[in-house]
Amino acid sequence: MSLAFLAFRNMMSKPLNLLLSLLLLVLSVSLVTFVLQLSKQLSGQLDRNIAPFDMVVGAKGSPLQLVLSSVLHIDVPTGNIVMEEAGFLTKNPMVQTAIPVSYGDNYKGFRILGTQHNYLDSYQATVVEGELYTKSFEVVVGSTAAQSLDLNVGDTFMSSHGLASSGIELHEDHPYTVTGLLKPTGTVVDGLLITNLESIWEAHEHETEHGEHEAEIHKHEDEAHEHETEHGEHEAEIHKHEDEAHEHEEEHGEHEEETHKHEDEAHEHKDEREITSLLVKFKNPLAMVQLPRFINENTNMQAALPSFEVQRLMGLLGSGIKTINGIALAILLVSGLSIFISLLKTIRERKQELALLRTYGLGTSQLLWVVFLEALFLTLTGFLLGWLLGRLGIWVASYFTQASYGYNLQLNGFNLFELTLLGVALLITLIATFLASTSIFKLNISKTLSNA
Amino acid sequence: MFILGRQKYVKFLNATVLHLILFLFLHKTFNLIKTSALRFSYANESELTFPDIDLKSGEHLLVLGPSGVGKTTLLHLLAGLLPASNGLVTISDTELGSLNRKALDTFRGSHIGLIFQQYHFIKSLSVYENLRLRQSYPVKSMSRERIDELAERLGFSDNLQKKVMHLSQGQQQRLSIALGLIHKPAVVLADEPTSNLDDANCSKVIELLKEEADICKSSLVIITHDQRVTAHFKNQLTL
Repeated sequence: MSLAFLAFRNMMSKPLNLLLSLLLLVLSVSLVTFVLQLSKQLSGQLDRNIAPFDMVVGAKGSPLQLVLSSVLHIDVPTGNIVMEEAGFLTKNPMVQTAIPVSYGDNYKGFRILGTQHNYLDSYQATVVEGELYTKSFEVVVGSTAAQSLDLNVGDTFMSSHGLASSGIELHEDHPYTVTGLLKPTGTVVDGLLITNLESIWEAHEHETEHGEHEAEIHKHEDEAHEHETEHGEHEAEIHKHEDEAHEHEEEHGEHEEETHKHEDEAHEHKDEREITSLLVKFKNPLAMVQLPRFINENTNMQAALPSFEVQRLMGLLGSGIKTINGIALAILLVSGLSIFISLLKTIRERKQELALLRTYGLGTSQLLWVVFLEALFLTLTGFLLGWLLGRLGIWVASYFTQASYGYNLQLNGFNLFELTLLGVALLITLIATFLASTSIFKLNISKTLSNA
Repeated sequence: MFILGRQKYVKFLNATVLHLILFLFLHKTFNLIKTSALRFSYANESELTFPDIDLKSGEHLLVLGPSGVGKTTLLHLLAGLLPASNGLVTISDTELGSLNRKALDTFRGSHIGLIFQQYHFIKSLSVYENLRLRQSYPVKSMSRERIDELAERLGFSDNLQKKVMHLSQGQQQRLSIALGLIHKPAVVLADEPTSNLDDANCSKVIELLKEEADICKSSLVIITHDQRVTAHFKNQLTL
């Protein structure tokens, strides 16, 4: 019979003690590993999501909200901006790309994002099945969205108004057709349905025609006035007015070719075409300092820096994470103490058995080994169970983050920190064994065996 | 024998006789247990002095006397559980005082079988596992047959899978005897081995102890004041 078997039996012989020690260990280990994994994966995912863009330009409001809504696709947007107005950014020499995005509809809770093809390039999201959209109301689907919605190439669906899932207000006149499925990227793209900008506009133009036509016209007039004054400001401030004018004409022409329907309104609409925000990548880091300030001070749009906002957000979450980690480490310390005390108790209670083992021919070192193995089993079991519980927590949390943010949490293997944690736990066990086992060295066999 | 030549026959005979003589010679002169001028004192207590013991293999000794004269102390001195304050204990030609702690543990484990007055077991193990553990150290000598044989003869073969604490007092005592004999030690030191046994079991135990000693050519040293035991052993020492 091996000493390991004996140690195992000894461990199992006191189920309540075992349960208490295990519980403390499992609790602390699961808490530490869970919180660490969660924060690491979330911040990793956030970093991946914001990486392609240096600046977001959108309607005035909270900059955090703008980043959350336009880059991370969590929050509701701050409002819309006029595409023309943001247009000057595309011409700025410090800007590498400026991608307009527009959204406001969903299909069963998954957002439909109107944008250009280069949005997909920013996330290296390539089509694995089918092809990219070329016309309005064609859509490519992110991997998790495709899986959850069970969408395949050729499928059609009706979008509904708003960003949250609801069966009401369907855009029944404009069914979307799936033309392609995207590969998994581990970014927000996985949870999006991506189409061109025109689809979003057309879906909503239609809506206004049906609905508050008269009111809309009044609004148009008001906005037109506003627009004129804004243009005036622009003229005074930046000397790109002429360029912009050309652009206006070009787009005007395109628009006429594309949509032959609303000829009367076309002039009005050209100016009114709105996007939710513009996602900007800089060529030059210097732009980080200049452009956001310029936009915030001189336009009625706001510019937000995703990296800055996410850092601020993580700073807020960070203190919470630190607190939980502190609590978990305190529990770990208590569990180390509990293992030490239970070892001490075990040795005291088993003194006679240890003396008996000496008469069987086992040496002091072998007795130490039995005691150490018992503690080792406890530590290993507790650590493994705690680790598994932590991962189970991640698995459960993944459902929530998936449902509310479209974030998929991965179930990773042991990482370096967790192995270090295991090492520390084993070291504590080793020290506890030696501290607790001084009585093994001083064991008086004769006396111990005579006093039953 | 016809196949062997005359010469070969003589050679064979000579070899056999030689072996026999050699065996008897060694056997007779082998000092299994020998003590000289053995003394021991617990802290703050008067010193105990023990008469010299000289047992050859196969010879047994009963130790008698009123309680408190140091019978158990003598047994522990013989087992090397206590260091003598004076004098020597030699078992199988090995002087116990000359061994270091580790060597003494190993020597005791393989040469001595201890049967305690208070029974000691590993409580987390079953009866079978306790016996199995005793077979595993210090030298592995696993034998299921040996366990079954002893359990059969001591009458607890139905209880092998039970936890030791679920045995009756008598069963525990018989298990304790089995633990002292299972590894076929050269010396069996027993402290009141029959105190909790009925007559039937008592005679079973005495018979078993004697038979085991005969087979292994081992010596029994038994502390007792059980009249049922004293009748069976001539060699007695009263402290």
